[in-house]
Formats: sequence, structure tokens, C-alpha cells
Amino acid sequence: MRVRYVVRKLGWAAVTLMFVLCFNFFLFRIMPGDPAGLLARSQRLTETEIAEQRAIFGLDKPLMSQFWTYLHETFTGNLGTSYLTGQPVLETISSRVWPTVLLVGVGTSVAIWLGLRMGIKGGWHRGSTYDRTSLYGSLTLYSTPEGWLGMMLLIIFAGSLGWFPVGGYDSGEDLSGLAHVIDVAKHLFLPAATLALGYGASYMIVMRSSLLEVKDEDFVATARAKGLTETMVRRRHAVPNAFLPSFTLIVLSFGFVLGGSIVIETIFSYPGIGLLTYQAIDAYDYPVLQGVFLISSVAVVIANLLADITYGFLDPRIEEV
Amino acid sequence: MNRTARRLLAVAGIGSVLALAVPLSATTSASSAEGTPTVLRVGVPNDLTTANPLSLRSGSDWNVATIQYDMMLQFGNEDLSPQPGLADGCEPNKDMTEWTCTFQKGVLWSDGEPFTAADVAFTYKLIIDQDISTYAQYFSDGTTFETPDDNTLVWKSPTPTSQPLTPPWIYILPEHVWSQYADLEKADLRAVENVPSVTTGPYTLTEVNRGQNWTLTKNPNYWGDEPNFDEIRFQLFTNQDAMAQALKNGDIDVATYFDSALLPSLESDPNITVQRNASDWWLNLAFNFGGQSPDSDPLPALQDKTVRTAIAMAIDKQGIVDKAYDGAAEPGTSFIHEIPQRWHYDVPEADQIPYDPDAANAMLDDAGYARAEDGVRVDPATGDRLALRMPISQETAGALPAGQLIVGYLDQIGVEVKILPVNEGKMYSYWNTGNWDAYIWYWTGEPDPNYQLTTLMSDQCGELSDGCWKNTEYDRLVTQQKDIIDPDQRQAVVHDALALSYAEVPSIALAYPNNIEAYRNDQVTNFTPVPGDTGYLIPNYNNVGMVTVEPVSGSASTGADASTGMSAWGWVAVIGGVGVAAFLFYRRRSRVDDEEG
Amino acid sequence: MSDTALAAPGVASPRRLVWQRRRSAVARNWTLYRQNRQGMVGLGVMVFFALLALAAPLLVPPADIEPATAQGLPNHPPYMGYPLGTDNFGRSVLDLVIVGARISLLVGVTATFVAVALGATIGLISGYYGGTKIDVGLNAITNWFLVIPWLILAIVLSAILGASVWIIILVIGVTSWAQPARLIRAQALSVRARPYVERARVLGCGDRSILTRHILPNVAPVIFANAILTVAVAILTETTLSILGLGDATAISWGVIIEQAFSAGAMTNGYWWWMMPPGIAIVCVTLSFTMCGYALDEVLNPKLRGR
Repeated sequence: MRVRYVVRKLGWAAVTLMFVLCFNFFLFRIMPGDPAGLLARSQRLTETEIAEQRAIFGLDKPLMSQFWTYLHETFTGNLGTSYLTGQPVLETISSRVWPTVLLVGVGTSVAIWLGLRMGIKGGWHRGSTYDRTSLYGSLTLYSTPEGWLGMMLLIIFAGSLGWFPVGGYDSGEDLSGLAHVIDVAKHLFLPAATLALGYGASYMIVMRSSLLEVKDEDFVATARAKGLTETMVRRRHAVPNAFLPSFTLIVLSFGFVLGGSIVIETIFSYPGIGLLTYQAIDAYDYPVLQGVFLISSVAVVIANLLADITYGFLDPRIEEV
Repeated sequence: MNRTARRLLAVAGIGSVLALAVPLSATTSASSAEGTPTVLRVGVPNDLTTANPLSLRSGSDWNVATIQYDMMLQFGNEDLSPQPGLADGCEPNKDMTEWTCTFQKGVLWSDGEPFTAADVAFTYKLIIDQDISTYAQYFSDGTTFETPDDNTLVWKSPTPTSQPLTPPWIYILPEHVWSQYADLEKADLRAVENVPSVTTGPYTLTEVNRGQNWTLTKNPNYWGDEPNFDEIRFQLFTNQDAMAQALKNGDIDVATYFDSALLPSLESDPNITVQRNASDWWLNLAFNFGGQSPDSDPLPALQDKTVRTAIAMAIDKQGIVDKAYDGAAEPGTSFIHEIPQRWHYDVPEADQIPYDPDAANAMLDDAGYARAEDGVRVDPATGDRLALRMPISQETAGALPAGQLIVGYLDQIGVEVKILPVNEGKMYSYWNTGNWDAYIWYWTGEPDPNYQLTTLMSDQCGELSDGCWKNTEYDRLVTQQKDIIDPDQRQAVVHDALALSYAEVPSIALAYPNNIEAYRNDQVTNFTPVPGDTGYLIPNYNNVGMVTVEPVSGSASTGADASTGMSAWGWVAVIGGVGVAAFLFYRRRSRVDDEEG
Repeated sequence: MSDTALAAPGVASPRRLVWQRRRSAVARNWTLYRQNRQGMVGLGVMVFFALLALAAPLLVPPADIEPATAQGLPNHPPYMGYPLGTDNFGRSVLDLVIVGARISLLVGVTATFVAVALGATIGLISGYYGGTKIDVGLNAITNWFLVIPWLILAIVLSAILGASVWIIILVIGVTSWAQPARLIRAQALSVRARPYVERARVLGCGDRSILTRHILPNVAPVIFANAILTVAVAILTETTLSILGLGDATAISWGVIIEQAFSAGAMTNGYWWWMMPPGIAIVCVTLSFTMCGYALDEVLNPKLRGR
């Protein structure tokens, strides 16, 4: 039953989210140090003022009461206020969503396009020069820390050659229309390339091996026996069947991409959620960290849910699992 | 669509992206064509956390507030002495309990409302009523303010005082805007966003994009000389390298808070002028004497002045300056650094504790601290090993490398150091509980020495005191200097207190680091550093520099520094590219061989 | 001991038979592995770095990497005696990279051990009790850890727990056990269905004995291959954390060297000799682990052979 499958997945997503909610709260209560104390030297607060600050953060109440307040507030859409700026967390995060969506969107699209293409071509012509070069290239890229890769790209293409700007979302000047688009694209290029290279490599490896797996299966031989051209066999029969595992892995890697964007955005001063997270870590701004963790978990859970459901419709066998 | 067409389209797409991306960013310089506003572009490494003058936190917060607002009396350009600001001056009565300050006439707020003495009284009262401790320290208990007319403020203190001439580092807020917030809870008051702002200074803050940039726009009603730029745009760089590169490319005109590591590259560029100024903070190693809380458990041997002095003698401060700050610092001496000159105490040669590890070893040998088998000395009284737990504030520039060096320095005299790099919140916990032996943190000074001197007083144990050092003579001197109105007499007492705290070694001022700023000398000129020639370019004390700074005429022609030749990294790129090409060529060749063979 | 005592000379005891069978399986796999060029290259590189890490204290005297006593010129490109130049303290970058191998490999291997031990335990139990409430519960937790953005979790955890090598190991271990657990559960499920496990149960073997005697040895190769791949991920994660400044600055790992080089202005000052070697070392080591992992996978999983 399709409906039952979807309902089960929905239920699972809901349970996961509840889990995330509770985990998120207690995670930030095990920290050592005193968030109110962070202000002590920089703002020269007195002991009394630090106690006041603690009360403002709600840190003076018992844990369970803090927990209930947290649950209640979260469900009413209030993620608290930033320790650092005093602004609402939800507002702070939403003002930073767009650059990350752009970066991750463009980066992963390119990674998927490149990775799948290369994986298919390499896997189909196994052992060819193309296959070996792209496989070893991908393995090497996959083994490269993306922070270091980003630094090297930054150093060479922005620093030494000066082809691209060294960071930021745009140049901050009042540009409009096409000039603005070009400006944004120029700033996007290196961070998106870093992301695309790293993930493109892992998608390539996955796609290649799933294609190899189906390549020798009976239905491919049957298709060939029917007299279809090699291209038709590949496109109509092999690739669609090999695509499913890659699809799941791509969705599963989504959470990793979000984490990776923290490093990339930090290196390229790209003002999205990743940079916000880094700044929050730097300032021990727990409400913002909590908010980022919650929102990214929700995004990942939803992405997984959608993937599961799509998968269920694409592959009828799934019902048996 | 067939395959070839698709491929062509893809190539065209990539090509156009490259074509858009590759051309060098033609430098849009500070000086502009008709109609477009002139912009001073400033690079900074820390974000604007707040634009609210009542809750300033990061360096950027202070810069922005200083540019926008005026104080009653402002810091002088040369030595930070009180100079006319919004007020022309303040006169005391005979017993110094009542000060009458007269204000300039005709000053307008940026929104066109007239500025009056009532704004000053409002701001001061707001700070006292809400007890905002950063600023409330300037007022004795029971201070009141009266405004007999629009241009006069009477400051009444229950005891004789010279506080109006400190001068209080408080930015004056417009009553007609801020009165609506006066009754808020303190937390909410501090969270008021204050964008766009209403100010009396040369610029007002008009736009904030956190994590990216923030823009100040010229105040049309400014009472002083007209500034030369229409806008000042601060741009955030989360990495220092990118900031240096942007300056080298001419994408920004000036940048501040550079890491000392970037000095060599900045100083080698002929278009860049580097300004090293004595910063307003210093690096401090404090010893713990214990007593902050029941959990405090410092090493008893630290009570022994011989041990503290020996440690001070074993630390190579010049080594810290050279290696932790790349030479961009001064070796520290006493507890108040060089800004302002008047209060800093330069310890005379004869009284200085020299860098002399051999003498330090001899001192410890004589005092009976014999080395155990592992080379670490043992306290003869308690049998404890001389092993120090040393928390280090990892956010403080240079603190961690200094700590790493100190491990090696103290190893020479048989003192073991275990460094613990921690964040500020954890530092604060250590500070309060006292379960440490020595720590490395920073102190920031302000022009008046009172706050800083207070932090070493006995009654500050568990409050501001680093390690609960207790010395009645020191307490007496600090209490005495507070009430001295004559600057020279006060200076003598302050110096006595500093000499005492240097000789007793409750803490060691390791280094007075420089703040490093740099600007494009082909794009902008005529900054006014404050204080003195080695002062800050980007305002930290007053906003004069932002009024005088101007674009270099005809600077539009400057381009990226393509002429400086290929850097080391260019060679790396070329060699890498050749390597990949050679690899591909080789593989192709071997493949061809395979097929032929 | 009792087995050997009971066994008559020349007659193999059951236990010895089992060991013989296993030894010959290992030998067979090794023969297969040896034919895998990729795997052998990976193994070679891996062994090289492992030896380097072990020999580091012999190659590099501690005083040379102590900031206060290092003798080189600060921030200097390669020169006599310093083939990879120096850092800001005047320490040889080559020395740092050699010493860095210790911490990087220690983190990689220990974190993997934590992850795999945790994952194997949970996966085995879950798989063995497949379908029961225990399985459903454990599987839910595993799946949940698979979907949460684990890199963010690792970053947040190491930020709040503070920077120390052991905390980083723990954090990486705790955030990367789910993948092995899932894999091992699937293996355990399939092994459980095999006839000899059924037979053992009928003969009265307890759960624990079935798990440790019959299922574990059969899934061990898979666990091993997976562990090799996990080491690569753990090293990369440690690098990421260090680059974000969340590493233990007092313990020199390759990631920490990169972070220090970058914040010392490697880009603007052109310190290529300081920035490149630790990165290349990481690429070599992770690549070698990845290649070994894949090669092992192929050896142990005949379906994949010949890729």
C-alpha cells in the first residue's frame, strides 16, 4: 500500500524531529563555561550585572523549567534571542538563508551534473583512460580536505592570479540588473567550485560503482539482445536502474554539505548560515547555534522524507524492504 | 535537441560564465564620477555586533559608535587630554563639587532637531538609572544634573571630583529619540537596534548587513568641518588574508586590526602605508594567590615572591614580542600600558627585573627549591612540584603562542607549565573559581587609570582582581590617587602604585601589542591618527580622522597590482598545472602504446 | 587450553580446525589482495606514514619543535637543513609534518576504533535480534544519527566541549558510528539466517556465544574494510575541525599546521612551503586508506571484483 508507506515515513520524520528537539536542548546544557561570563571582560560587567544577564538568558531557572519554556517557545516559532546581538534568532537565521541556498544549490547542482556524467561515462567504458583519469582524480579530490582545497583555490585564483574576488557575497556597491548578477556570480564562483569539486568527486565514485553493478545484470543483456544500440541500452536501461542508490546517497550527503558550507563560507567570508554558525561558535552564541542545528536538522529530515517518498514511487520493490 | 547542440550550449554557458568572471575587477576607486557618491571602503575582521552605544562589544562596534557620536568633552588628538567637544569647557566651583559646562550653540542632530544640554543630562541620567556599569563608573553616587538653559549643564557631585575632565567616555544620545526607550528593562534597552541612527557626529549609520557590510552616510547637519566622503562602508573579512588581498587589489581603501603575521607582505607593497599604533590592550600573565571561592587551590609556592620574581626573570619578553607578535609589540613593563603616556610608568633600568634565566635558577636554588629527578623543582615547605596549570584565553591575539613559548622558558628554570587554551566563557569560570595557578589574558585600558588600578586592590578579590593579590600599601596608594585633582600630584601617586605592583609581581605585563592598520596611499590620504602620530586611523577615541581623510586626486587610474610580478603562489599554480598536464599526457601515451602493442 | 590437552596428537581439534580454516581464508584473501595494484600502492603509502609516525620521536628531537628552543629563522622558505622551510617560531616544517603524522593518525585510528566499536556493538545486537523491539529501537537511533547533519553536530560538540585531542576523538567517534552500525546490522541479519547459526542454536548455544563465536567472525572482514574507510573520514573531519580553529592547538596535527599557516598569512605572504606539505600529506594518507578500503571491499565481496 502506497499510502501506508507514506504515512509510515511521515510518522518516522515526526518522531525524528521530536528527537532532534530534545537532543538540541540538552546538547547545549552540557557545555562548560558560563555564557554570561563571556561579557565579563569585553563589557566590563560587574558580578551583579552578570547575574542579571544570566537571568535574562533564563539560565538561573531549574533545568526542567528551562526545558518546558524551550519546547513551548519553539512550537510558537520563537527560537530565542542571540546572546551576541540581542536580536531574535529566527530573524538572524532567515536573513542569512539566501546566500547559503544559492551556494549549496549551485554547488550541489554542478556536483551532481559533473559527478553523474563522469561516473556514467567512466563506468560504461571501464578501464579506459577517461575512466582511470576521472576515477583517480575523483579519489584524490575525495581525499582532499575541502577547507584546504578552498584555501588553495582562494590563494591561487583570488590571491595570486586575481581572477576572482577574495570573498563576500557581492562587492557591496549599488549595482543593479545584469551588473549585479555578474557581481554575485563572480563572488560565488570559487566557493561553489570548492563545494562542487569535493562532492562531485564522491558522486562520481558512487555513480560509477552503481552503474558497474547493473551493467552485467540480465536485463541489460536482454536489452542488448533485443538489438538496442549501446547508447539506448545505457540511457534507457542501465542508468535509470543504477541511479537509485546514487540518489539516496546524494540526499543523505545533504547534511554533510550543510556542514561543509561552514568551512567554505568561513574561508570565503561568504555571509550565509555557515558563516553565521562560525561567528556563533566564535562568540559562544548558543541560542544561534541551537537554532542553526535545529533548522538544519529539520531541513535534512524533510529532504530525507521527500527522498524516501520519491524512492518509494520510483522503485516498486521498496515496499518489501 | 540533439547532442551536438546541447554540447555547444553547455560550452557557451561555461564560456560566458568565465567571460563574466575572469576580467579583473577594474578597481572602482574612492574618487568618483559625477553623481555617484564617494565612498571610503574600510576592511575589518570583526562583525558589527550592535549599533547601540549602550552595549558596545566588538572593536567594530566601538569604531562605528565613535564615528557617529560625540562626547561632552572629547579626547584630544595628541595625548587624549580633554578638549572641547559638544561642550566648550567645564568650570568647577571652589570645592570642586559643582561643575558648570557650557555647550556650543547651533548644533543640530542629524534629523534636524536642535541639540541642547538636556540631551546630555538625559544620557547621563539614563546610564545612572539603568546602572550600565561600563559607563556608570564615571559618576559618584548621588551625582545630579541640572540644565538652567539650553547651553548649560550643571554637574553636582556630593564629594569633590574631577570626573567631568576624565572625560567620561560616554556618547551623547538624542533625548527626542531615546526617551521612548528610557523605561524599558535593561536587556531590552541594550537590544535596541538603533539603525538608522540620529547623531551629532560627522556620519550616521544607515544600513547594516550583518556578516557582510555596514554603511555610514554623511550627516548633513554636522557642526564641524564637512567630511570629504559621502559614505563610509565597512566590509567584513572573516579571514585576515582576504582582507590583506583586498587592500592589495585596491578593493578597499583602508583596513584595521590586522594580524601581525601580515606585516611583511603589507610593508613590501609600495602602495600601502602601514600604521602600527600602540593598542589599547595588553597581554597579561597573572598569578593566583587564591581565595576567590572554596574551590580555589593555587600552588602555595606562588605566595613566595622569590618564585614569582624568578618566573618573571625567566620569561624572555623580547622573544614573545618577536615570535608571538612578529615584532609588532613592545615588551611589557608595568600594569598600565603606554596610552596614555601620562599614566604609564616606565620602570627605571635599575628597578627592572631583567631577563636572566641563570640568575633565576640561582635564586630558586638559594631559596631551597631543589630540582627533582625529572628536572622540576620541588617546594621545600610543602613538597609540591613547581607545576603550573595555565589557562590561556585563545581568542586573545598572541596569547597562545606566548603561552607555548613560556612553557619552554620556564622549563629552563625547572618550572613545569601545562597550558590550557580555553574560550572567554571558560576563562571567566577560572577567574571566578580560582582553580588555576597562572593565566594569560588581556586587559584593556582607557585613558584614565583609575579602573585599571582598582583591579589589583584587595577588596576586588572575587570581583575584578585577577588572582586576589592583597597589599595594603597598594590599596592605600590607589585610594589616595582617586581624590587628587592636580594631574602632576596624581601622576606621582599612580606611578608609586605601579612601581609597587611591578616589584611585587602579582602579575607580569608580557607585551603591549601594536594595533596594525594599513591604507592605500594612492587612494586615500590625510588621516588624523589619534593619539599622536602613532595613533589609530580608524577612530577609536574621537572622529576627527574621519573628517580629514580624503581621496587622492586622480586616483581612479590605479589598478590591481598586476605589475608586482608573479608571486610564489603563481609559481605553485603553474607547476601544479604543468604536473597535471604531464600526467595526462603520459597516461594518454601509455594508453596509445597499449593499443598499438 | 583444555581443547589442546584433549586432542590426540595428529588429530585436529574442532577449534584448531576453525582456526586453520580462518588462516587459510586470510591467506587466500591476501593473495587476492596482492593482485590489486591500487590496494598495494595504498598499503605501501599507509605503512610508510605509519612507520613515520612511530619513528617521529627518533627523527625529530623534542627541542626542535618546542617554540622557545627552535633554532631556524622564522617564516623562511626552504634552506640548508630546513628542506621544507620554517614556521613563525622557526621550526622546520618537515619536522612538524613528521610529528603531525602522529596526532593525525592517532585521531584517525582511535576515533575509528570508537566509531566501529560502537557501531559494531549496536549493529550486531540489532541485527541478531532482527525484528524484535530491541532491533526496532536501536535501528531507530541508528537511522536518526544517519540523518542528523553530523558534521554540524561534530563542530558544535567540539566547540562546546573545548579543544583537546581526546575530545575530538570522542566527537568524531560519536558522530560517525551510524554508518558502520547500519552496514553491520545488514550483514548480521544475513549471517543469522545461515544454516550453521541455526544449528548452533539448536545445539543449545546461548545468544552471547552465537554472537561472538559465529556471527562476529563472519562479519569481521566487513567491519575491517569499513573501518579502513572510516579512518580516512576521521582524518578529514579532524582537519576540518582544526581548520575552523576547533582543534587542539597544543597538539600538532596536520590540520592544526594548515590552520596556523593560513592564519599566519600564508596566502598574502606566499608561505607555500608551510601551507602545502601538511595538505599533501593528508591527501596521501586519506587516499591510501580509501584505496586500501576499496581493495579490501573487492577482495571480500566477490560481486565487486574486477572493477
